[in-house]
Amino acid sequence: MSSTAKNSTAAHASSEIEYLPYDDRTQSLRLIDRYPRSFTRNPSQPLIRRPLTLSELTGPTDLERRVKTGDGDLSLTVAGGPRAMGQLISVSGRVTDEDGAPLAGAVIELWQANSAGKYIHEMDRHEAPVDPNFTGEGCIVTDAEGQYQFRSIKPGAYPVMESDWWWRPPHIHFSIFGPSWMNRFVTQIFFPGEPLNETDLLLNGVPDPETRQRLLLQPQATTVGTFNILKFRQDFVLRGKRSTPALD
Amino acid sequence: MTPTPYSTIGPFFPGQFADSCGDLTQVDGKTAGGQHILLHGSVVEEGNIPIRNAIVEIWQPDANGVFRHPLDPRYAEADPGFFGWGRYRTDAQGRYSFRTVLPGRASDGSGALRCPHVNLMVLAIGLTRRLVTTVFFSDAPDQVDDPVLKCVTDPAARRRLFTARDHALDREGLPAYRFDLILRGENETPFFLD
Repeated sequence: MSSTAKNSTAAHASSEIEYLPYDDRTQSLRLIDRYPRSFTRNPSQPLIRRPLTLSELTGPTDLERRVKTGDGDLSLTVAGGPRAMGQLISVSGRVTDEDGAPLAGAVIELWQANSAGKYIHEMDRHEAPVDPNFTGEGCIVTDAEGQYQFRSIKPGAYPVMESDWWWRPPHIHFSIFGPSWMNRFVTQIFFPGEPLNETDLLLNGVPDPETRQRLLLQPQATTVGTFNILKFRQDFVLRGKRSTPALD
Repeated sequence: MTPTPYSTIGPFFPGQFADSCGDLTQVDGKTAGGQHILLHGSVVEEGNIPIRNAIVEIWQPDANGVFRHPLDPRYAEADPGFFGWGRYRTDAQGRYSFRTVLPGRASDGSGALRCPHVNLMVLAIGLTRRLVTTVFFSDAPDQVDDPVLKCVTDPAARRRLFTARDHALDREGLPAYRFDLILRGENETPFFLD
């Protein structure tokens, strides 16, 4: 399970990009104390190393044919209609590969709770109010420089009903489609300075403190003008880097 | 730069993101060529307990073994009626179901052919990383020579990566193939290092 070994067939299928296995030191733990499902759902057997062939190095393209992309303003359900309740926020950033090369045309799916900590979802049993002007869902695409931007409201905290103590801090879920099956990516991003960050099992499931910081939105300089919104930045690095040519 | 850490998809992935992606055989009014099939099964955790609300995604070549992706040298020949990717949210019994095509033999990228297969990934509460595996189609599993399959050295585990016809699940005249994703426990599905 070495994280640095190169893949033998990747170079045949693609002379450009290689995908090393995720380095466990800069990822979340798989098994997290007090996160019960992690112990019944993670395989007991070791994960098996395999070569990467064309099948793993390709992945879905023109996803707009399957998922509905929007204008990136989650704070409005209807153009010109009333805005969702809560602190208006704007999040922008870049999606790149491990070399810092921009990933253009990457589809990003977003979902989050409303400002009261409530999702519109059949699984949500929390007795907090639904906001009629907020669905908490959006889908956007990165531009030619790999940049994205969306508006929303700051999500509220909410209790995990299956536990007797755990409250999730405010967070936004991201599901990103990179250019291959290997960098299909899902995560959640947190707000800096939230007291509940200290006890969150998922944020703290990333053991490396420096890596954990990368899951916190970065506040941007504030401005006051005609349209006022708190701005944050969040960059994503998806797996994949240019392979070093073999010397032989 | 190291990749941003993965996290769990959690319980609240919007239903509408998943609920229209289970049919890979229609694209912009065109219908996929080849044998249409149903690929389905259950996602279960330890103790054979079904996992509701898990997200299963698949990626596969068309009936001629071509990927709808520019990296495939035969990309121009890709079936315009076949999408290659699908997503399904498991029901209360932990079941998923895709309408797709029997995959053709795809190139492995170095001149050899892969055994017909479909790539799968699972996301769910409790999984902070996706789980990836591959299901194979063959009438003679013991004779298959495939670069990914041969990494599974335990013969019993290797056999579990083959799907089987399940006539009881046929619907609308489509042959059904069953592949259960047993995340942990007896007859655990082999998963690959990601």
